[in-house]
Amino acid sequence: MLDIATYESERRIRGALVLSVLLAAMSLLFVALFPSISNSGADLDAYMESLPPAVQAAFGASGTFSITTIEGFLAVELYQFFWLLLLGIYAAYLSGGLIAGDVERGRMDVLLAAPVSRARVVVEKFASLVPVVLAVNLVVGIAVFATVLAIGESISLADLAVVHLLSVPYLLACGAIGLLLSVAFSESDAAKRAGLGAIFGLFLLDTVSESADLNWLGAISPTRYYDPTAILVSGEYDWSGAVVLLAATVALVAVSAAWFRRKDI
Amino acid sequence: MSAIETTGLTKYYGDTRGVEDLSLTVREGEVFGFLGPNGAGKTTAIRTLLGFISPTGGSATLLGRDVTDEAALIEAKRRVGYLPSNPGLDEGTTGRRLIRYHAALKGDERSDELLEAFDPPIDREIGEYSTGNKQKLALVLSFMHDPDLVIMDEPTSGLDPLMQERLYEFIEDEQARGTTFFFSSHVLSEVRKVCDRVGIIRNGELVAMEGVEELLDRSGKRVHVSVEETLDPADFALAGVHDLDAGDGDASFMFTGEYDDLLDHLRNYRVRDLEIEEAPLEDVFMKFYDDGPESESPPPETAAATAGGESDA
Repeated sequence: MLDIATYESERRIRGALVLSVLLAAMSLLFVALFPSISNSGADLDAYMESLPPAVQAAFGASGTFSITTIEGFLAVELYQFFWLLLLGIYAAYLSGGLIAGDVERGRMDVLLAAPVSRARVVVEKFASLVPVVLAVNLVVGIAVFATVLAIGESISLADLAVVHLLSVPYLLACGAIGLLLSVAFSESDAAKRAGLGAIFGLFLLDTVSESADLNWLGAISPTRYYDPTAILVSGEYDWSGAVVLLAATVALVAVSAAWFRRKDI
Repeated sequence: MSAIETTGLTKYYGDTRGVEDLSLTVREGEVFGFLGPNGAGKTTAIRTLLGFISPTGGSATLLGRDVTDEAALIEAKRRVGYLPSNPGLDEGTTGRRLIRYHAALKGDERSDELLEAFDPPIDREIGEYSTGNKQKLALVLSFMHDPDLVIMDEPTSGLDPLMQERLYEFIEDEQARGTTFFFSSHVLSEVRKVCDRVGIIRNGELVAMEGVEELLDRSGKRVHVSVEETLDPADFALAGVHDLDAGDGDASFMFTGEYDDLLDHLRNYRVRDLEIEEAPLEDVFMKFYDDGPESESPPPETAAATAGGESDA
């Protein structure tokens, strides 16, 4: 069991580690810049407040908090943008190639010539994303914590751990959206681009609906259920959001598997 | 029990015909050639048999198991090997790792022995492989679990002549061990080397199913003769001459008659050059199975592939 997942994640783990190191280096740079930004005397909070509400929401800065604290700074500069948006997009993009890539290049024929069920292929291929998501969180989480300590600031270890922990269901849900698209499209590039567009679109939908009185509409976006700013700034952990994301992930993977079983490849 | 049995198997993609009303039986232990020009529906039929696409009509069994029932088909696949015409293999991994992966999925009875026979460079990344090496690796993957039935889709297309020969010998040896083969091809000469029976598919439909010898007797040879005198087409009104094209000192025709009669007749001339070669598959279709003007243009490689086949002159 899990032979497919093992094989697939092996193929992906090198890329995941490169990505982790790059993100860690970048967050190190951000955090190292923090002292000079908070001491610069520029009134960044006033600047944030002057932005339109929708843009503030996009930055995750709709609550009242200061980005000149290390928590606020990390939330806005690192997690809101890189974790919520870019890594979400990356997860969907990556999984967009999971099925369509193999179908397109004829690898699926070679794989399905072996006595394996199509549902198993879908589930295990998706499972191969888990080590990638865990690796990125682990490497970058440790890097951020170490750098914060190194510049003489302090941050709640629990908050930081939870911001990474709760990003796991979020990123898996984004990946599951990509997986469904990967079954739907027979071209890998099309599926990947659709995944990229879907996450970006859902992110915008969530952001805009919050400020446009269409709150319910944003509820279909996974970004609604993971709020790094709330975790870091106010210590609010949205466990039920994580449950929603996990349930959605399971549902999306199940639909993908059922669809792929019936599909001509 | 038959190794493969299809009854009225039909696959349409919307209005496009893949295969239509295909009924054939592959007996256990035989090498069955599935012959047809490119685009005739061979790959569609094979991929339907393996459950990659589902039929729009009819039924098929693989080792006695219904191919539309996934659980049953998976049972069958434990004993089936498949060699696609252009096998998709992960470029970024080594041959060794891929073999280990497939060993985990379907078991490994004999990869060592197969690696000795075909010898792909398994410690290199597959992205660096030549087409021939990919094909060799794919051969190892399709035989490593010691299957009872092996389905091969144009297996020699990427191989050099030496490797082709080795594959033919391998198929013969495997058949002696009791393995059944379903072997698609558009090259008549290779089908005659390895197959016991053939099914001919054209425009998605099975047009003939018979023993290889009968087929060859019916298809005849292409004869080209150059003589020093001028030729009169009427001179070649022999039994078994078809499609005569005679000019100055040249004549070419299809010949299904007795060689002795032909040679006796040629004794009347001073023969400068004589070629007798196997009929290109396209000509076989034209001659014996032409059922309408709906013929596609012959693929250029067919002629090239058969030309070097049998030259008795």
